[in-house]
Amino acid sequence: MANFILRKAESKDVSDILRLIKELAKFEEMEEQVILTEKDLLEDGFGDHPFYHCLVAEVPKEHQSSEGYTVIAFAMYYFTYDPWIGKLLYLEDFYVMQDFRGFGIGSQILKVLSETAVKTRCSSMHFIVAENNKCSIEFYKRRGAADLSYEEGWRLFAIDKEDLLKMTTK
Amino acid sequence: MDFSIRAANVEDCKDITRMIMELAEYEKMSDHVKISQKDLEQDGFSKNPFFHGIIAEVPEQHKTKEGHTKVGYALYFYAYSSIKGRTIYMEDLYVMPEFRGKGIGKALMSKVAQLGLAAACAQLNFTVLDWNKSSRDFYFSQGCFNVTSDQGYHCMRCEGEALEHLAQP
Repeated sequence: MANFILRKAESKDVSDILRLIKELAKFEEMEEQVILTEKDLLEDGFGDHPFYHCLVAEVPKEHQSSEGYTVIAFAMYYFTYDPWIGKLLYLEDFYVMQDFRGFGIGSQILKVLSETAVKTRCSSMHFIVAENNKCSIEFYKRRGAADLSYEEGWRLFAIDKEDLLKMTTK
Repeated sequence: MDFSIRAANVEDCKDITRMIMELAEYEKMSDHVKISQKDLEQDGFSKNPFFHGIIAEVPEQHKTKEGHTKVGYALYFYAYSSIKGRTIYMEDLYVMPEFRGKGIGKALMSKVAQLGLAAACAQLNFTVLDWNKSSRDFYFSQGCFNVTSDQGYHCMRCEGEALEHLAQP
């Protein structure tokens, strides 16, 4: 099964995007943390000022998944900024349904993302990977990615809404 | 000490560039800085900005010996989490050494938090170097947690030749 197309996501895809987000979250053992809804995705990705962009991979009907899905992979990304080197492309999510792996879909998605990065004058593409996800880390390193946490000592920090609120009232 | 926190404007780019270099030197990475004042003006203050800035300013009587009144800054942009939705990312937070310990860093970060909440963001993210203990302690005291050590996430990058190669047909 080598037949698939990659295209920009449209508003009608939000249901599939949310489904794939939840599948990826399940794989990362974080499924219960997904609080996003289709309505959020629609508003945040397809309004006047999109917070993200999305690519989807679609297979023909005859290759649909066992549950009947034809949208079988996605990548969610947005543009960020590094004051040392300028614009960056940040890859937030990247996922291919299990049954559709090994056909070059992931590689093709990465290729299109890299083309987008180069075309839009981005100096770099950034993303995060869980350290126990050895096979993804190897996939990325084979393509020239560097582990900044390991090589330069960068640690990702977060502060959630409750503590953000406390910070604004102190 | 008296100070004010306000949104950066295009005229602040000269001071922002200066302080970016100071922060890079502090992080022992000055040779990594490739950006110019002109890039910042274009990328931060045109129709579709890639980042936003906040400046901390002191009155004339407290200016530095070189005559600077802009003594701290934060750079941020809006990002997205496929789990939580809108987030705000604080790319840089810096206060000149002689102005530390006066609540300026906290005020800058608080402003970023306020802006994030106003835009319905669920989370504020940023990175810190592992040897930067004083910054990490400050962030922990504000309720932040270390995603890398708690959840095992590593920051990855694909740039330059590797990026071009990846884009090849």
